[in-house]
Amino acid sequence: METYIEASVILLLLTDIALFGTSRLYTCITIAAVQGVLLGLIALFANAETFIPRIIVIASIGIVIKAFVFPYLLKRTIRQAGVQREIQPFIGYLSSLVVSLVLFGVSIWFSAKLPLALGAGRSMIIPAAIMTMFTGLFLIVARRKALTQCIGYIVCENGMYLFGMVAVGEIPALVELGILLDAVAAVTVMGVAMYHINREFDHIDTDRLSSLKG
Amino acid sequence: MLILPLCTGAVAATMPAARKALAVMCTGILLTAGFGWWSVVHVVCHGTLFAASDWLFLDALSAYNLAIMLLVFSLCACYAYVYFSCELRRGQLTLRQARLFTALFSGSFSTMALVLIANNLSIMWVSLEATTLVTTFLIYLHSSRQSLEAMWKYLIICSVGMAFAFMGTLLAAAAAVKGGSVEGAQALLWTHLVGRASLCDPMLMKAAFIFLLIGYGTKAGLAPMHNWLPDAHSQAPAPVSALFSGFMLSASLYCIMRYLPIVSSAIGSPRWATNLLILFGIVSLLVAAAFIIFQHDVKRLFAYSSVEHMGIIALGLGLGNAGVFTALFHTLNHSLGKTLAFFSAGRLGQIFKTTDMGQMRGVMRISRVWGFGLFISVLALIGAAPFSIFMSEFQTVKAALDAGNVTAAVLFLFGAGIVFMGVLAHLIPVFWARNESDVSLVTTGLLEKFLVFFPGVLLLFLGIWMPDFLHGAIDRAAAIILSGGN
Repeated sequence: METYIEASVILLLLTDIALFGTSRLYTCITIAAVQGVLLGLIALFANAETFIPRIIVIASIGIVIKAFVFPYLLKRTIRQAGVQREIQPFIGYLSSLVVSLVLFGVSIWFSAKLPLALGAGRSMIIPAAIMTMFTGLFLIVARRKALTQCIGYIVCENGMYLFGMVAVGEIPALVELGILLDAVAAVTVMGVAMYHINREFDHIDTDRLSSLKG
Repeated sequence: MLILPLCTGAVAATMPAARKALAVMCTGILLTAGFGWWSVVHVVCHGTLFAASDWLFLDALSAYNLAIMLLVFSLCACYAYVYFSCELRRGQLTLRQARLFTALFSGSFSTMALVLIANNLSIMWVSLEATTLVTTFLIYLHSSRQSLEAMWKYLIICSVGMAFAFMGTLLAAAAAVKGGSVEGAQALLWTHLVGRASLCDPMLMKAAFIFLLIGYGTKAGLAPMHNWLPDAHSQAPAPVSALFSGFMLSASLYCIMRYLPIVSSAIGSPRWATNLLILFGIVSLLVAAAFIIFQHDVKRLFAYSSVEHMGIIALGLGLGNAGVFTALFHTLNHSLGKTLAFFSAGRLGQIFKTTDMGQMRGVMRISRVWGFGLFISVLALIGAAPFSIFMSEFQTVKAALDAGNVTAAVLFLFGAGIVFMGVLAHLIPVFWARNESDVSLVTTGLLEKFLVFFPGVLLLFLGIWMPDFLHGAIDRAAAIILSGGN
């Protein structure tokens, strides 16, 4: 099982780096969906020996939400807004990739500083989780489109989910469901908000929402 | 208490007429508030209440905050009826909007109550995040470009803030698990954690508190994470602004208060956490003071004043002992004062059809009741004697001097002084200048008089004399923050 976990974690890191360099919004959404599936798989692999039905149910719900519900909501928004690409982000794609390497270094450093109690063979998961959070925050800060910011929020949430899974271990099912429910509600609310922004302004560029100052 | 407002919200959302929907919502909120008061009184008399196999609980700290919340929500619900009735007369509010408002307003009541009564720290987080999502569309009730922009800022900044808070919650849980003090399933039960906090890993707990302070601080509007606040407060309809300022910000600070005893006992000394709070408090105070000078819009002015007061509460929490007492007292005073301020500003804004202070002139001549409300609330908010905010600010300075923190006291007085002059310079013409526009004299109903009179008198009363039961209640709540109630 350890090999499967490690393979999933490496794939997760690759999806993070791909998000730094992708301009097509459809591709971004797909990558975020793949991440959701990977997270679910990691949760399943990590508990494969003990076979707890609760964890399997929650991981499956998570996969369904992140791989089908979120992409459906976001792709609908893309169709409504008629946007395909993130054009001229605040930080260019090449520089973004450089930033991703720096952030990866920072996440390894940061996780080395945290004195967490981890099982054997789990040492790569924490840096991957923190890297995923950084990716999400970066997308929120460095991109113009409201949609990319929403994807950033999902990715950030993914990272924290992974972190919680490894660092805390057993979280009551009710709490996990509450957290998932919040994420679904957040993405739905953001989707509706983007629909209104697009209808009112004919664009979803957040840097052009700048009439309120001071 | 959680379900009743949800039900009335759902019923209100199906009402055929807007006015009926508002009335149903008011009844629902007031009924629930009655029930809530009963449980608050129960806690004051008999001690902590538990429910749902310890997942929900109400101790002195949450009961005190719940009492403030019930007060603010009841006032806001009545005010919403008055405010939106006026809009209905002018045809500015459609049935759909009224239904949306009632449903979301009732929903936010439930989620905020859950923040206060949740024993599990992650449930507390889930419900505070839910308040963000529920209140988002309240800002955008009146479709306009500005409110849309404010709504998006609010949504993104607060969501990211809440993500930080979630990370902090996870780190706190990890600290507890690492220390071996708790089983996984109980790792986040506050009552469980607080007794065993000294076993938690101090390093992880420090990291957790930094994330929590930034995360919940964003939602509480502490500078420099306050950017969403003035936009959201100025663009939301007045009942919603009053609710935001009056209680939502305090609810977020309440979450920080919950963590204070755990963090202090895990690290072994409260100094580290309280110094951070003092820093954020002073920065908020000074940033707000600087921005208040340049405001044109009365609601934005009050929004920055909220940043200032949140800073004062954080400062009080940071000063420890007597400071915590005044911070809790200040929470009550600020909620009352700010609710009244937004009520008056909103109503006068309706009368003048603008909230620009350059065009609102001579409000005292136009509407004696609401002008008076604005006058009282402004005097209270800038800390003029004999209102209760003066008392709590005075005690904060005293607590700072007692704690030997002269720098904090001086910076506090400096910031508060700037706010005092800045606000008065803006608002004196608003009260008494001659009005050239064609706004005519407005009559006010009995309910409106009550809405001005009640918080105003309460502010004055608490400034002059503090009843023993209130003193005792705040003392017990402060003991929980200082030592976990042991």
